[in-house]
Amino acid sequence: MTERPTERPWWLAAGTVGWGAIVLAKAAELPQFDQHAGIGPGFLPSAIGLGLVVLGLILAWQIHRGVPFEEQGAEDVNDGHVVSYRALGLAAAASALPMLTMKPLGFVLTCTGCFVLVAAAFKSRRWALNAVIGFAFSLLCWWLFRKLGVQLGGLLPIAGV
Amino acid sequence: MDPVAGLLHGFSVALQPQNLFWAFVGTFMGTAIGVLPGIGPALTIALLLPVTVYIEPTAAFIMFAGIFYGAMYGGSTTSILLNTPGESGSMMTALEGNKMARNGRGAAALCTAAIGSFVAGTIGTLCLTFLAPPIAELAFVFKPQDYFALMLLAFLSVSVVMGTSKVRGFISLFLGLSLGVVGIDKLTGLQRLTFGVPDLMDGVEMTVVLVSLFAVGETLYVASRFGLHKPNLNPLAGGIWMTREDWKRSWKPWLRGTFFGFPIGALPAGGAEIPTFLSYTVERKLTKHPEEFGHGAIEGVAGPEAANNAAAAGVLVPLLTLGLPTSATAAILLAAFQNYGLQPGPMLFINSGDLVWGLIASLYVGNLMLLILNLPLAGLWVRLLFIPRPYLYAGILIFSLVGIWGVSNSWVDLAMMFGVGLLGYVMRVYDFPIAPVLIGLILGPMAEVQLRRALAIGQGNWSVLVSTPLSAVLMAVAALIVIVPAALHWHRTRRIDPLEP
Repeated sequence: MTERPTERPWWLAAGTVGWGAIVLAKAAELPQFDQHAGIGPGFLPSAIGLGLVVLGLILAWQIHRGVPFEEQGAEDVNDGHVVSYRALGLAAAASALPMLTMKPLGFVLTCTGCFVLVAAAFKSRRWALNAVIGFAFSLLCWWLFRKLGVQLGGLLPIAGV
Repeated sequence: MDPVAGLLHGFSVALQPQNLFWAFVGTFMGTAIGVLPGIGPALTIALLLPVTVYIEPTAAFIMFAGIFYGAMYGGSTTSILLNTPGESGSMMTALEGNKMARNGRGAAALCTAAIGSFVAGTIGTLCLTFLAPPIAELAFVFKPQDYFALMLLAFLSVSVVMGTSKVRGFISLFLGLSLGVVGIDKLTGLQRLTFGVPDLMDGVEMTVVLVSLFAVGETLYVASRFGLHKPNLNPLAGGIWMTREDWKRSWKPWLRGTFFGFPIGALPAGGAEIPTFLSYTVERKLTKHPEEFGHGAIEGVAGPEAANNAAAAGVLVPLLTLGLPTSATAAILLAAFQNYGLQPGPMLFINSGDLVWGLIASLYVGNLMLLILNLPLAGLWVRLLFIPRPYLYAGILIFSLVGIWGVSNSWVDLAMMFGVGLLGYVMRVYDFPIAPVLIGLILGPMAEVQLRRALAIGQGNWSVLVSTPLSAVLMAVAALIVIVPAALHWHRTRRIDPLEP
């Protein structure tokens, strides 16, 4: 757990304020008050949006004062580690992959792809073996959870199976 | 139904062979998945949620009882053996437990944790049995403003207690609240924050957010910071059983831990951090072996672990009687109830007595099963820790996809998995607590309903919110929770500031 007191992640504050502003803008389209219940459907979203904007500004002030951000501990994380952006990119690609392939290629092939990408992110170089294990594991999960009644779609939707 | 009759009826449900089988399956799977690094109790339940959808509700909740305690025990196993607490409640266990494991006394540490959990779980469930019905009765006289004040208190305390920074705690909470208002407004039928996406009309799915924040966020985080190291384990060296001396030193901490854990866990502002910390401090003060603290004192494992489990049982009190979740695990249990069209709260005891008492009885059964299962199987669970990390995390992602894709086969859920997963990564790197997001997401819409009801009763007059004694007191406590720490902090920094350049 490394302390980085000098880092100033302004974008965190900007993101909070930005999301708050979006919530506020969308809430403004709705009626804020209601004759019967006092408050309308837009009231709470407005309050939440406003809260986010204010909190974002407070965070910006804290960042300006140099508040430290300490990483959370996790299992399997070494103290004094270096951040590998390649691994992060591979793992992020694995979690983005389903958006592209789940509909056309189905659960099993998508999960095989995710399996290979995550294994690669964890520095496993045996691509072919990982693909085989991933495929077998995905197929097993697909079959088992379907048996249990979970809807996971067809085996290969693009081919109509 | 009075508690004794209710419990007897519950046992007649829970002890039916097929329900015993589900309790066993739950305990086994809960421990097996809870033991895996990076998976805490809340995520374990979320991942196993799709499996239970097609089981009849009573059996499903009996299985949840097993998963619940199994996952808790699994979490303490990794804390002790790998020094890697998956949840804030097991931080204190890891402190002394891992030192014991390094001294070759891992088995004794696991043992005192298991028996301590059993003692605390049993006493906690006993308290739950006798406390829940009167509280549920009491809840009938609660007015909407009382509920609203109670939920406000839960929001504030969760954000203030969890994590290191209150501002970040509140940002987490408000993120959850903002996700909670997405969907069609139930009173007016208007769309809120749906951005014209039809899939968002039903609102944001709790399971999707939970699995993405925990499992996907954790996978991204660990992948980017993963060093090729082997877990340093010598689990079963030093004998597999506790010595006579260990027993003598453990039983009082078990009871004291339970004594701290249950009442604090049962408070709407409770949680497991405070009781485990209190228990650790007290054991350290009372021990006859102060020199061992910091080097593996068994009291330091027995007490906090009992406190943690008793708090977990305590959390079920507000959940079952008021429908109020005060931890991430309770939030996911509430989501599970809602999946079955059940709303926890006073009516649950009347409308679904079978289910509630079956669940409470199963907590006893699950607890006993856990002890029988885990003392001999400790060696097996330890081996699960040796699964190669690439396959472990790849497998976790596939389980997550089962949970997310299985909910409604929606592309929007997949996009959300990516987005919320990245959010989970950022929250870990910059130390934002995760539980407030879930509490906000699930409790936000409920609080809004109560607020609008209260205001409708008061014909738009806001003073109705403090019009009952209970709501006034709760509002005052909620205000104090925010003001007191802030004032103390301001007072401190004001004195320090002049010294800073």
